[in-house]
Formats: sequence, structure tokens, C-alpha cells
Amino acid sequence: MMQSSPLNPSRFIIWAGRLIVGAIFVYAGYSKLFTPNRMWSPWFAFKLSVSSNLTNFGQQVAAFQLLSTAGVSFVAHTLPFAELFLGLCLIFGLALRISAPLITAIMLGFLAVVTRAYLLHMNINCGCFATPEPLNGFTVLRDAAIAALAVAMTILVFREARKPHPWATPANS
Amino acid sequence: MRRTPLTAFALTLLLACSAFLAACKNESQPAESSAAPAAQSQPAPMATTPVSSVPASAAAAPEAAPAKEVASKPISSKPVETAPALPAPGPAGLADLDPKEARGSKSAPIVMETFSDYQCPACKQLYMNSSRQLTDNYVATGKVYLIHRDFPLPGHAYSRIAARYGRSAAQLGKLEQVEEALFQSQEKWEQTGDVDGTLAAVFSAGDMNKIRALTKNPGVEAAIEKDLALGRSYNVNQTPTTIVHYKGQTYPIVGIVTYDNLHQFLDQLLSM
Repeated sequence: MMQSSPLNPSRFIIWAGRLIVGAIFVYAGYSKLFTPNRMWSPWFAFKLSVSSNLTNFGQQVAAFQLLSTAGVSFVAHTLPFAELFLGLCLIFGLALRISAPLITAIMLGFLAVVTRAYLLHMNINCGCFATPEPLNGFTVLRDAAIAALAVAMTILVFREARKPHPWATPANS
Repeated sequence: MRRTPLTAFALTLLLACSAFLAACKNESQPAESSAAPAAQSQPAPMATTPVSSVPASAAAAPEAAPAKEVASKPISSKPVETAPALPAPGPAGLADLDPKEARGSKSAPIVMETFSDYQCPACKQLYMNSSRQLTDNYVATGKVYLIHRDFPLPGHAYSRIAARYGRSAAQLGKLEQVEEALFQSQEKWEQTGDVDGTLAAVFSAGDMNKIRALTKNPGVEAAIEKDLALGRSYNVNQTPTTIVHYKGQTYPIVGIVTYDNLHQFLDQLLSM
């Protein structure tokens, strides 16, 4: 029974991954949408606020010199929403077998991009959150740690999905 | 997916809400969160809307005001009313206004102050992509009074000297030309620091001599300091930052804003 206990290592990693990675994604999406400009009202000021924040995030994406102008615009206008939505899905455990791999893929993408920029000695901001932070070795290590947790969580989510739920009534009782 | 037990769901919900609220709380307290970034010239959440006695108190503030002191100014997450009681107010109640650093009609309904650094790439973007069109469509038509404020960031080696030259040229009524010249060739002079040579290629020898003479005037440096202090009083810690004033309300816009977005915003503001 220990294996199916909610406190077994696999389930613990899934929980930790969901909460930690999910919270990081929610915060990342939120900060890109609502920082540095955060005017809530009137409506047109809110719109300007968000669009200006996305434009500024686009500058950080462009600094990686990987995408065309259209690509930068697409990433800048979709990534923050995707981060927010997928992070919430992960935290609430919604469609875990979809949200977890997607977040892991995004995280591995971030890691690849950040590592490339670090190895090329690009003097840019990481663009991880809205507050500019210089891209350095710590950024790469931090992304690697989050990516590792996301990978472990995703693998275990699929493995655990095959097992009976610990609190489910046994089929033969 | 299997059905999650209610208790587990409730626990998740609780933890998620706590994390989210903690994040929100952290962001809504720039007094703490902006302290360090301000010191490092990095941006912080700016839902800031400075209010009363801004220019007067700011003018007296020392340049190296501690970041915490700057950040402890009242802030708000939405536009607030600008308090009056400023001596000899200019447009939108703004005192301490040098008309040579501004464009447009003083009686324009909207006043915009742009805190800018000639060496900052985002300021160049704002100038190239929005400010020119703004000048043509709003400043020239008397809808906007646009004020240039110098906010040279300490991380930029030549931005202070560029601001000094810019300020001096503005005294000769050549603000637009100096902005155009410095932003256009920003990549060149920021490598060498040759601001003088960049402007000499644009202005006549006579004008350049006047500009050079003016850069040595202590009043120019003092004016830059005043702008810096004013910016700090607005909690500006990133360039470009544009403060829009309309009917006693203040709308801070940090960073780049595209002309399309700005145009929609200004039209909405004017229709209010």
C-alpha cells in the first residue's frame, strides 16, 4: 500500500513539481502581463498597460536574436498567456497529461535558449520575468533545475496514471 | 485523468491561492520590491502615480537619494488626481517647466513628460516608432504638450554628456534636431562617446560653438539634476518612462509603447 500512498516519493515529486513549476509559470505569465505597467482602470488604460508590457517583453525576446519580427511578436503576445494558463492547469491538476508535457517542453525550450545565449556571451536580460535580470550562469542553473523538476514530474505523472489511485476503492472489494 | 479527491483539490486550491496572493502582494508593494532595482537602475513594477508637490520637493532632493526613500513615495494602482498647490503652475499644473525642453501648445489638453536617456536603446525605439508620429499628429495639432525630461542612467557611460549637449542645444531651440541626431546614430557614438562629433555633423560651426559653451554652464547640469530628481519623485527607475497628465489624472507608461496603442489611448482620453 505504501507505493500508492500519497506520501510515496513519486507522488511527492508530482505534487512538488505541480506546485513549484506551476507557481513559477503563473508568476512569470502574470509579471509579463502586468509589469512594469499596471493600470487597472479605466479599460483603455488597462489595455494600454498590458499591450505596452507585451511590447516591452517583445524587446527582450528579440534580444535573443533567434526569431523574425513576426516570430517575436507571436511569442511576446502568446507566451505570457500560455504560461499563466498552463501554470494554473498544473496547480489545479487540470489535464495534467497535457499541461505537464507542454510546460516541460516550454521549460526545455527556455533552457536551450538561455544556455545558447550564455555560451555566446550575449549581454542581455533573460526575459524570464518582467523585471530585467542579466542572463548569467545562475539563470542557466535555475532554468536547468526547474526543467529537471518538470521532466521528472511529467514522467511520473504518466507512470502514476497507469496505477490505481491510492484512495480508489479496490476493484475486487 | 482520474478523479482527484475533494480534500486534495481543496489543498491544491489553498496553496495555489496563497502562492498567487503572495505574488500579487509582492508586486503591489513597490516600496520594498523596487528598492533594489532602483539602485541598480532596473525597472520595478510601476503602478506609480505621484501626486502632490512633486516638482517642488523633487527639485530639492539630492541626486543620490536612497532608493528606499524614493520608493516610499505614495503609489497607487490606478490613476489618481494630481493635487494642486504648486507655485506658478504650467500646463497640467506642472511647475518647473522649461519651455525650450517642450514641444507644442501650452494650452494642449494632454501633457506628456518623457523621461529619456539618449544612450538607451528602448528610448531610441520609442523615439523612432512613436514620438515622431506623436509630434506630427498630436503635438502639431495642439492636442499634446510634449516635455522632454533628461534621465541619464548611471549604467550608460555617455548618457550624461549626451544629456548635457542635448540640454544645451535645446537652449538654442534645437531640441528636435538634437534628439534626431543622437538617437539616429546612437550605435556609433555610444561606442566612442563622441557626442560632440555626432552633433557637429548636424549643426553649423556657429551653433556648435554656442552649444559647446553652454555645456560648460553649471545651469545645464543643474537642470539635468532637476529632471533626475523629478523622475525619482515619480518613481521613475527605467527609461523611457512617459507620464501622461490629463484633467488632473496621471497615467505613467513605462517602457516602449507603440504608436498604435498610444494613439488609441490618447483618443480615448480626449473623448473622456
